[in-house]
Amino acid sequence: MLEIKDLHVKVEDKDILKGINLTVHPGELHAIMGRNGSGKSTLANVIAGQESYEITSGDILYNGTSIISESPEERALAGIFMSFQYPVIIPGVNNTYFLKAALNAIRKHQGKTELDAVEFLKLIRKKLAVVEMDEKYLHRAVNDGFSGGEKKKNEILQMLTLEPALAILDETDSGLDIDALKIVAAGVNNYRRDDRAIVIITHYQRILKYLEADYVHVLINGKIAKSGGENLAEQLEEKGYSWLDN
Amino acid sequence: MHFLEKELNQLIQFWDEEPDALHTLRSSAFKQYKEVGLPNRKWEGWQFTDFSALEKTSYRLASPGDIPPVPETLPTIANCNRILIINGHFQENLSVLPDKVTVQTLQQAYATNPEIFNKAVVNNSNPFHNLNTALMNSGLAIIVGNNAVIDDPIHILYYTTGLTEPIMNHPLFLIVAGADSETTIIEHYAGATNVQYWQNVVTNIKLSNNAVLNHTRIQEEDHNGSHIADTVYSLGKDAQLNAFHFASGSSLYRQNIQVNLASSGASSMVNGLCIAKDHQHLDQHIIINHLKENCNSNQLFKYILSDTSAGVFNGRVIVSEGAQKTDAQQTTRNLLLTDKAMAHSNPQLEIYADDVKCSHGSTTGQLDENAIFYMRSRGIDVRTAQLLLISGFAKEVMETITNTNIDTYIDEKLTTWLEHIGVTL
Repeated sequence: MLEIKDLHVKVEDKDILKGINLTVHPGELHAIMGRNGSGKSTLANVIAGQESYEITSGDILYNGTSIISESPEERALAGIFMSFQYPVIIPGVNNTYFLKAALNAIRKHQGKTELDAVEFLKLIRKKLAVVEMDEKYLHRAVNDGFSGGEKKKNEILQMLTLEPALAILDETDSGLDIDALKIVAAGVNNYRRDDRAIVIITHYQRILKYLEADYVHVLINGKIAKSGGENLAEQLEEKGYSWLDN
Repeated sequence: MHFLEKELNQLIQFWDEEPDALHTLRSSAFKQYKEVGLPNRKWEGWQFTDFSALEKTSYRLASPGDIPPVPETLPTIANCNRILIINGHFQENLSVLPDKVTVQTLQQAYATNPEIFNKAVVNNSNPFHNLNTALMNSGLAIIVGNNAVIDDPIHILYYTTGLTEPIMNHPLFLIVAGADSETTIIEHYAGATNVQYWQNVVTNIKLSNNAVLNHTRIQEEDHNGSHIADTVYSLGKDAQLNAFHFASGSSLYRQNIQVNLASSGASSMVNGLCIAKDHQHLDQHIIINHLKENCNSNQLFKYILSDTSAGVFNGRVIVSEGAQKTDAQQTTRNLLLTDKAMAHSNPQLEIYADDVKCSHGSTTGQLDENAIFYMRSRGIDVRTAQLLLISGFAKEVMETITNTNIDTYIDEKLTTWLEHIGVTL
């Protein structure tokens, strides 16, 4: 589904990613771990199409086609979703309106009929229940006045509603208390399906206790230093990252 | 501007119905004007606007011959009483007026209510105000009776259309909200013409004790129109003013707004939204005078500026010595959509009392790139994302319009405007 080939990325003349190779198949959950500044978020943003990053060489294939010249919205319409590490506040834009506009853009792209307000509300209520979010958050502006936890739940709500094929979760677990973490993990498990893939970027092993990762990769200094199964995450928890430094 | 003098002389000579005292008033106001002329950029409070364009056209005062057939479609706001004025001329037969509201021509007002009249036209440091006094040729007095509760808004539509040569109008509106009354008044300027015109309006609004007045001012003149206005509110004890100033029209727009909180317990909310494109220049100068104790005032002005347009906000809150327990808030926010658009904001506080709560703030920015990316990453295209963000920016101030029909009208104007707007930042 996702194939990253020898990807090099610069941000403001600084090399951040220095040759990433990663293949993700449908049904798989990959965890990418690493220290601050290792390039984890850059990787997520580059897949989503953030234009301030410069790809100097390499390629990103999605379902066999290169997407690096596609706009963020084209990627989203094709089924790629990124849960933001820092969800953005959009003053004055109603959360329901925003999510309905996004869903209908995707449905339209898929040749499906657009949902009207009543149909949308019916759908969104089911999704709200999964992430245990109060309906009041629908009526606020996007992420405006949301606590850190509510913002992350709102990201998962969007993922559940938009039903992408590939979800990149950028530190969706950071800053969450244990209850919120469980809810977010439940949301991810609810989303998980054989035809969908998940890449979760995280500092900590703790969310992986609630998710079954097929692969764990360690990103160090812009490269994947080691890949393994879930036990790699446990090793990292025990030993930290320094044993992989060379 | 010799055309002004010529027009004044004709007005005095031929307007036989006018009492001599009014002629004297006109001459004296004109003399005041002539001593200083039009404001220039060296004047304090006028430095961001160039009025020289007004001198390049010989405007004449609108005459009854300027009334074209009334257009079939006029701007309409649902469920309103209407006062229709076409090219400066009150169309009484096309106006629908509620009971408990008295509408008088200026001559009638001068004859029956000289006190209100004289208070409104006192000599002024604003030369446009003096010019209006000298040349006033249009306008009405609108008096809402004590205790009157008027459910449907009074929509004053001042429409300019079908001109054959450049005209000017110097309307004077005298509005009195009686004690304990509740009214919504929409003062609405619009136009559609290929010929240049100039409106120089003075609106004097008095809120008697405990009156509640919602005043919406909509300025959507044709781009051939220049619109200058001086709007003065005076609030009595416990009176409550909710004003909203929407401006989208005119190539040259300057409004002075003055709010006098002249008795204790008065409160004013004066908000506004200005949207500008092309070479439009929209300038608003606001003074809130806290003259007595226990008054509060709120201002929130937003500007959305595209192309090579300019927006000016000059806001002063003055808290007088005796005005203890004043609560005054002032905020202005500018959104620039291109790198050629300009915003000048100058919020000022002058406080001469010690037990007060005052704040002011001003921001100027562009559309948030992170927010645009966030929306795009959810499948929303760039243009839609931009328009959502711009409407979102306007929403905070639009939400302060309490009347749904007025809100709908302005919201539709904003939506139509946005459809054609360029965003390059």
